[in-house]
Amino acid sequence: MKSDNSLFNKSIPHDSGAKHVSGLAKYTDDISEQPNTLYGAIGWSTNAHAKIKNIDLNAVKNSEGIVSIVTHSDIPGRNDVGPVFDGDPIFPQNKVEYYGQPLFAVAATSMELARKAVLKAKVFYQNLKPIVTIDDALKKNSLLFKPRVIKKGNPNQEIEKSKNKIKGNFTTGSQEHFYLEGQVAFVIPKEDNNYTVYSSTQHPSETQQIIAKMLNQKSNSIDVLVRRIGGGFGGKETNFMTSAICALLSHKTKKPIKLRLDRDDDIIITGKRHDFYSDYEVGFDDDGCINGLKLKLASRCGMSPDLSLAINERALLHIDNAYCLTNLEIKNYLCKTNTASSTAFRGFGGNQGMMAIENIIDNIARHLKKDPSEVRMRNFYGKKNRNITHYGMKINDNVINEIFDDLKTKSNYKKRYSEIKKFNQKNRFKKKGIAITPVKFGISFTTIHLNQAGALVHVYTDGSIHMNHGGIEMGQGTHTKIAQLVANSFGLPYEKVQISSTNTSKVPNTSASAASSTTDLNGAATLNAVSKIKSNLNNFIKKKYKIFSKTEPLYKNGNIYIGNRIFNFEHIIKEAYLNRISLSSSGFYSTPKINFNKKIFKGRPFYYFCYGAAVTEVTIDTFTGESVLDRVDILHDVGNAINPALERGQIEGGFVQGQGWLTMEEVVWDKSGKIKTFSPSTYKIPAINDIPKKFNVEIFKKGLNVEKVVNKAKTTGEPPLMLAMSVFFAIKDAIASTVNYKKTPVINAPATPEKILLSIKKLKNIV
Amino acid sequence: MVSNTIQFIYNNQICSIKNPDPNKTVLDYIRNDLKKIGTKEGCAEGGCGACTVVLGELKNSKLIYKSINSCISFLPSLNGKHLILVENLMSKKNQLHPIQEAMVKFHGSQCGFCTPGFIMSLFAMYKNFKKFNNEIIEETLSGNLCRCTGYRPIIEAAKSLNNKKDNDHFKKDQIKIIKLLKKINNNEIEISYKDKKYFSPKSINSLKKIIKKNPNAHFLSGGTDLSLEVTKLRGEIKNIISLNSVKELNFVKKNKNFIEIGAGVSLYDFQNIIKSHYLDFYNILKRYGSVQIRNVGTISGNIATASPIGDTLPLLLSLDAVVKINNKSGLEIIPLNKFFISYRKTKLKKGDFVYSVKIPINKKNYFRAYKISKRFDDDISTVCASFNFLIKNKRIIDAKIAYGGMSEIPKRATLIEKKLNNSVFSEELFLNAQNLIEDDFSPIDDMRASKNYRIEIARNLLMKFFYEINTNSNIRIN
Repeated sequence: MKSDNSLFNKSIPHDSGAKHVSGLAKYTDDISEQPNTLYGAIGWSTNAHAKIKNIDLNAVKNSEGIVSIVTHSDIPGRNDVGPVFDGDPIFPQNKVEYYGQPLFAVAATSMELARKAVLKAKVFYQNLKPIVTIDDALKKNSLLFKPRVIKKGNPNQEIEKSKNKIKGNFTTGSQEHFYLEGQVAFVIPKEDNNYTVYSSTQHPSETQQIIAKMLNQKSNSIDVLVRRIGGGFGGKETNFMTSAICALLSHKTKKPIKLRLDRDDDIIITGKRHDFYSDYEVGFDDDGCINGLKLKLASRCGMSPDLSLAINERALLHIDNAYCLTNLEIKNYLCKTNTASSTAFRGFGGNQGMMAIENIIDNIARHLKKDPSEVRMRNFYGKKNRNITHYGMKINDNVINEIFDDLKTKSNYKKRYSEIKKFNQKNRFKKKGIAITPVKFGISFTTIHLNQAGALVHVYTDGSIHMNHGGIEMGQGTHTKIAQLVANSFGLPYEKVQISSTNTSKVPNTSASAASSTTDLNGAATLNAVSKIKSNLNNFIKKKYKIFSKTEPLYKNGNIYIGNRIFNFEHIIKEAYLNRISLSSSGFYSTPKINFNKKIFKGRPFYYFCYGAAVTEVTIDTFTGESVLDRVDILHDVGNAINPALERGQIEGGFVQGQGWLTMEEVVWDKSGKIKTFSPSTYKIPAINDIPKKFNVEIFKKGLNVEKVVNKAKTTGEPPLMLAMSVFFAIKDAIASTVNYKKTPVINAPATPEKILLSIKKLKNIV
Repeated sequence: MVSNTIQFIYNNQICSIKNPDPNKTVLDYIRNDLKKIGTKEGCAEGGCGACTVVLGELKNSKLIYKSINSCISFLPSLNGKHLILVENLMSKKNQLHPIQEAMVKFHGSQCGFCTPGFIMSLFAMYKNFKKFNNEIIEETLSGNLCRCTGYRPIIEAAKSLNNKKDNDHFKKDQIKIIKLLKKINNNEIEISYKDKKYFSPKSINSLKKIIKKNPNAHFLSGGTDLSLEVTKLRGEIKNIISLNSVKELNFVKKNKNFIEIGAGVSLYDFQNIIKSHYLDFYNILKRYGSVQIRNVGTISGNIATASPIGDTLPLLLSLDAVVKINNKSGLEIIPLNKFFISYRKTKLKKGDFVYSVKIPINKKNYFRAYKISKRFDDDISTVCASFNFLIKNKRIIDAKIAYGGMSEIPKRATLIEKKLNNSVFSEELFLNAQNLIEDDFSPIDDMRASKNYRIEIARNLLMKFFYEINTNSNIRIN
């Protein structure tokens, strides 16, 4: 079936744009409450590791406005919100395992009274020794799972044989999601113990299942609705604590409950990005080509498994970034620590793996006194050979060489590289640095069964369209893009398509809006539903008007062209209805071709790869360690974009978020496991003056998805975050200039002013 | 006349609230009483800008517009103001305001949660300026955090407003609003709500009377620090005396030798006054919180709260500023250098209040100030350093150096000053002097930085000052 292509490659504004700017876009907390609604608040542990001796809630009970209190004994079913494994008790019975772990919750007549009351609890602990850092966990063998070993070729022998060898270690830091809308849920009890749940989640289906299991009910008694969320970035993928506790309070009180974490509680209670530590040994030739690599890769997973296994797996799958590693061994340690359970965050371990290899490549180049960009290119995957990954997948869509070449030319990299060296010779205190880094990021959930999606499309008798799918609108514009696809497929104006809340009773068993796959999966499922309706219509028209043409009907400009006849869409819809033709359909999609054997770490976990590269130029202040981004040039492959403006938004936003991760965002825990950075006054995400002074973003024009993804587009969700790796290595380059590039700087991420200054001092042997 | 009713304009009408809860925030009022949900809570501490609203007020019979953080403003502070919310920007025919149109057109929103705050900050800019260059745009938006867009499209949207003529409905309703504001502007406020009290006197005389009767009351200026007691610590502030409407405290005196700033002058107004005298003071003020904070916060508030990391304090110390305080015996002048006693403790006794701060103007001096923080904008100093030097014939006649973030109070570097005074201005001298940092200060480790880093940059900033003066150049990256 053909369609008019007018709505593709069109930068129409976000479907909620006008509502965002006028304050009319409703988020979960904005849904007006019935008068009998109560407000929840969570009481949490102020000890990171302890046995619970007693919890005295008398003062809480007697606090003004308190209607009800729930503890673990009020949970009828499963006392856990762990998505894959157990380990995340809603309220632990015997032992607290992190500072901020929920212990009980209250319902009160106002949010203020609820929040005041929970502070009055008296909890008696028997202190246990907390394990806070990766280092500590490795020493004490505090691991969530047995260490995993991935091996390819013979790295020991290859390193041994190599002319050049280096060893070292490297750390990337944690990161708080800092979505502007905090975790919030609003639960309304219905008849038959059913509940309607409004939640700021990226995963309505799992919210439904978790609540059903907690209440010992069936999933069909829980409806979860999400119109939009105020940012997610992975932080709302498995954080089911808020909606579960809210539902529990509603279950106990039989009243509607609204539970919204304030910013401090949100940061204290919920998990963040995994810090990763790597320890490496690498052998390479005089061009910097890697012969063999041995790595130890350890991550801070927090107190429970959550998604840590999948996140570490993605780190292992991205340890190659864009480089062909033929002899490789990785030992992976999932450290259990007394901190909030580390969770999904844009990049999902991929970025941590990629930073580890980028740092190694950078160090190889510095060891050989070469331009790191040349060592990078020397190690790139090839198109026809050197194209098998360390997990045995053949790469058939490689464009990194073209992107790198193009960007180096466009950004004038070579000239600037030598000009910067001159600048640094002339300037004693201000130093510049430049770096170009590649991104290759695999698209698909590596847990294969998650790569499915459903949709529901109705055509009403007036010709208007109602669309539903399993994806969550979190800013990325998935509804906008899918509405473009639907309108385009029906040959109707975009405005004819009504977008509504994501709803578990309309589309069941959905996967999280995650892994950059939301539009790919749900767009395809929605088009599947559309094609079924169109097929009904085509058959009806052909039969009724006796058209025997075999050419594909064309849906365009509000008309349907079949054979040599033209039918007005609205008219024919009415007619079809009167002739009892179904105008509604569900749709389904599952990603083809993918398979992955997790045990032997082999297969094709990714449907396709996204590619991109960025050049960053920075200046650092050697008095203070401060840095600024003078210029950034990005070239990113988005395939044939459905909506280029929205893709550009993802690229720029992802870059700045990555920049934050690698420069200023620093989560600090003290020795006792207490988090010290839990509000915007202590935790800094990039603000308007931090972005690059010159910011050139281009979409790779030759980009085309070689796989059958809608519109031959490529997703932009996570990959652009890793374009910011260039910021870190530009800073490292500037640091190296302080000793005239004679030595390799040692610096871990984030490159805060303090770390930069310390690195300079170390390099100059002052420390 | 004393009234227990606050009055303000909303939707072109006078709204009156009798004895409102003085601890209720403006945001709470907007969302839960007005039931307007466009204004969002992002952090409840004035750190993200999602709750930004605009207050219109009269200044010399002209309407000016101020963006504020509604999450840390108490409801009575609306008295006498015109409250403007994001929902009010559309025309009566539901046409988007030019700012809103631009933000949609340039794809300035993604998840949209921070967007109303950005719109309101831009609205204040749109009304207060005629041209919007990068500097104005970036200053305007430095207190609005966005986690999705990376800001570029928002900046583009703001720039595009340069081509739009301001004929929005606020312009059309201007005369009407001025009339209404004049109508409600006159009463002193005295509120009783349960066991809480709130006073907003209009003169020093009545302020003094109120203090006498309520010796335990808290003074409220911008409230950007005080309000956190309620919004973060979930406490209550029983008695509040607002200094904002006291006419005698809202003044600026200037002559050849000094500037005197009344306690009621906002930091935003102050930054524009100090600019021509001490450029670095202006540069640092621009990084003091956000425009929303500086619109309400005052320099005397900064002095009275006496935070070791208060950004203006090292600057004032090195400039040898003096504080005029009002105590039982009247006005007393205290050198700022003698004002701070220990952590957040000052010479102010119960019932005393800051009247003004007086800053000497030294045209011959070299004045430089540096603020180091993890983030350039809207961040708390790791270290703030300020240098005020009189140098004659290569000899240092008078060195005044003060640091913030290095001690429990902002403090002068006395030993270093001593070492430098009456010596030849030379690299060698400074290299020697920087070794005295640890004799002058012993900073702490915290989540912002380590003790060692603080010491290191304190030393380096001394050297930076030397090189900047010595080479008569700017060695800064920002």
